[in-house]
Formats: sequence, structure tokens, C-alpha cells
Amino acid sequence: MELPKEIEIFFRENAPLAKKLSEETAKLSPKVKEKTGLDVIKIMNFCGSHEWTTTHYGIRALLTEDVELIPGPGCPVCVTPSSDIENVIKLAMDGYRIYTFGDAYKLPTVNHYKTGQIGSLEEAKGNGADVRIVYSFADAIEDAKKDGKPSVFFGIGFETTVPSYAVLFAKGKIPKNLLFYSSMKLTAPAAVYAVKVHKESKRTPVAGVIGPGHVSTIIGAKSWDFFPKEFNIPAVVSGFEPIDIMIAVLIILKNLYTGNIGLTDVEYKRVVKREGNVYAQDLVNDVFRVVDTIWRGIGNIPESGLDLKDEFKEYNAREELGIKEKPWDYDLPPGCKCNEVTLGTAYPTDCPLFMKACTPSRPWGPCMVSSEGACSVWARFGSHKRILEIIKEGGS
Amino acid sequence: MCWAVPAKVVSIDSDVVATVDLGGGSIKKVAIGVNDLKVGDYVLVHAGVIIEKLTKEGVLENIKFISDQIREVATIIGEDPEKAVKDYLEVVSGILEEINGDENGQNNFSSR
Repeated sequence: MELPKEIEIFFRENAPLAKKLSEETAKLSPKVKEKTGLDVIKIMNFCGSHEWTTTHYGIRALLTEDVELIPGPGCPVCVTPSSDIENVIKLAMDGYRIYTFGDAYKLPTVNHYKTGQIGSLEEAKGNGADVRIVYSFADAIEDAKKDGKPSVFFGIGFETTVPSYAVLFAKGKIPKNLLFYSSMKLTAPAAVYAVKVHKESKRTPVAGVIGPGHVSTIIGAKSWDFFPKEFNIPAVVSGFEPIDIMIAVLIILKNLYTGNIGLTDVEYKRVVKREGNVYAQDLVNDVFRVVDTIWRGIGNIPESGLDLKDEFKEYNAREELGIKEKPWDYDLPPGCKCNEVTLGTAYPTDCPLFMKACTPSRPWGPCMVSSEGACSVWARFGSHKRILEIIKEGGS
Repeated sequence: MCWAVPAKVVSIDSDVVATVDLGGGSIKKVAIGVNDLKVGDYVLVHAGVIIEKLTKEGVLENIKFISDQIREVATIIGEDPEKAVKDYLEVVSGILEEINGDENGQNNFSSR
């Protein structure tokens, strides 16, 4: 049997182990509450894929009400500011060919609903612009080389995606006709921001965090040590199968109970190393520099983004095309709670537009667009809260 | 955006590009984002770049780590830790035999 299939069977289709972990969690969680005085043990994830697994496999239903799993900032598409989308739409309408990932194609601007507005790259294409969805940056390069047309790649993503850009810049593979518009984001600064929002308000504080598995593959589990060290919050880097998530919850509970909150635990040992992928890190550091950047609906978070270093400025769309950054203005469409969903202060079902004016086929706000946006995940796979909502709507 | 899929390296085409088999007849050229890549390696591919290798040793380490967690939690909740680990090993025996290719796998996980 092939190794990936063996892993899938063990970590995904392992009902006996899931039952055992569910039982152990149920026994341990009351002890943790008693010891810590917490009314609920709130555990935040920072990855849309973790939220996908949690929701798709119904992990919340396998836990008691003592444990609350909440999605945090884990979707780079959801937090891409409206100004970036507007800038890229303008370039498209000015005649540049735009390459983008499918997730960003339908991403709406703040004013997308207003008459006369071109509210997304999809609409730009409908108005005659040359917008192409690609699987990877490498595919965009191959396509751009064919006819030499002036083109721009809309570079979104967290640390997992950044090496796919860095390796091709570092190895000199970019054609002169392809510019790069960076909207890349770094996970850790936003994770700290979200945890502080909970800590500094009257909300139940975040008691544990599940570190993003593939972001950590690149940056290393050590990158999350500030949570245990500075916030006394256990951090566990988890894989993406249901058993992975359940183990991560169990470890967080165990560490809260014992008070042994040391360095970040790595559950996803089959992939993640404590130091991360140093080869990829070196490439990223050769090509990109850390910059302040805007998170949609939230505003500026210092040192939370990446842009090309000066050595590569001939490829930097902002510099080459003289795009001026405007001061941030609130950039969510009216009624949209995507910023609160991103920070874990609201569930998708708390938004009055969820599955009414905002659906996966007609997204009103950005968290409904990407396949890993929390609203999109909850819309497609439901949740115990969604089920309760439907029952309520049905008057039962 | 952070999803990655497992694949097997079919050929290494340059210092930047490798060809991988994603399964289901899907063959794709991807960028190389790791050191010391070899034909036959299992890898994880995200957005057209190999972000890490997937090894049997890593899987075994993962399974052993879970065993350790189960032992520690059993102690806290007042259950027999050795019985908890034994029950776990029964559940994992299948994958261990597959990976190890012999029946010694369980013994590797019985020690602390």
C-alpha cells in the first residue's frame, strides 16, 4: 500500500481511535475547568484547512460543551484588503493580463454591490479584461512567456504559499513581462492580534491554540513558542485529519491540567519539524522583506506582510506601475461580519447575512468566497450551530 | 489556501522543477522547495511547490507520539496507562505492520 493511503486510513478513517479520544477528552475537560477556573476551554485555530477538517468531520460534535473550537485568522483570501482587489481590477481594465488563484477570482470589493462598479476580477473578465485563473505561479510564468503580453500576478497567501513565489524569483525564472502584486500575509502577527482581542475584552480568553500545519511546515513549530512563553497558552501544531485535531485538543487539555506549558508541541510529526523547512526559509529571506500590511476589516497590523526586496523591484507591480497606497478605510460591505469571524469574536451564524444575502454561489463578504473561509466552510458543511439555526428557522 | 496534497516524485527535471504523480493519473510539474529530493520520494505539494517530504520514519514518530499522549492522559484521568497504550496499539497494529513490513512494529512502541 502507498504511504499516503496508509496515513489517510489511519488518521481519517479510524473510528475506534476517534471514539477513544472523544471519551478521554470528555473525562479530562471537567478536570481542566475545575483546575483553571475557566467557564469554557476556548481553543483557536489559525488555518482554514483546520476549520475545514473540524467542520467537515463534525469534530465539535465529538467534544463536550466544555471545549469550544473557534476559527481564527486562517484564510489569506478573506483578509486581502479591498484596496488591493480594486488596484488589480484597475490594472485588468487598463489592459494588463491578470493571473490569480481561483480563490481570489470572485473576491468582492467593498463597493461591489453598487451600480456601475466592477466588483471583482470575475466581473472585470465579464467586462472584457484578460483575467486568468492558474494553479500555481509557475503556470502563470509559463503562460506569460508565450506571447510576452504585459501581465501581473496577484500574489496572495500565507507562509505556505510564499515559497512557491520565492523559489522562482530566487532562481531567476520570471519573464520581464510578468509583474508581481504582493498581498502576502504572515500568520503569527495576526494570531497574536486575535488572541489579544479576546484577552483584552470581557470575552472568555483563548486557552489554547492549534498552530497551522502547513504554515509551520515552512516556518517551523518553534515560531509558535511565544504563545506558551509570553501568554502561557499551550500551542500544538496539528495535521489535517480528524485524528490529528482530536489529539491536538487532548494535548492542550493535558497541558492546561498539568500546567506544563513549555515549548510548542508538534502533533504533525510526519511533516513538521521544529526548525521548519530551512531551505525554503532561506529562499524566502533572499527574495522578500517584512512589511506592515492591511488585513481586511481589521486595518494595519505591523510587520504582518511580505513584499519583494529592492533587488527584485523591476518585478514589483506597485513600484513599476506607480500604484499609491491609500490610507486604510473600513473595507467590508455593509452588514458583513467577516472581520469578527476572522478574529473569532463571532461565528459565521452570528452574521445576519449568512446563508441569506451571502451564500457560496453569491458571496457578499470575503469569508464566503474562499473554500477555506470560515463562512464558506460552515455554509457547505454545516455545524452544530448551523443545525440549531436551521431548526430555529423551521420553527421546530 | 494552505491545503497540500501528497504526491510521489517521478522525475527531477532541473534544480527548480520536478515531475510528481498526484494520484488518479494526474502528473504535474512543480517547483522544488526542499533539499535533497530524490525520485520515489513522497512529498507534500502546495500551490505548485513541494513544501516537505513525507517519510515512514515521520509517520512512525507521529504514531509513537500519540501513544505517549494517551499514556499521560490515562494517568491523569485515573485509568491504567499501560492498558490504554495496549488498546491503542491494537488499533494501530495494522498501519504499523504495513509500514514496518514485519510484526516487530508493536515492540518498537511498547517502550517508553
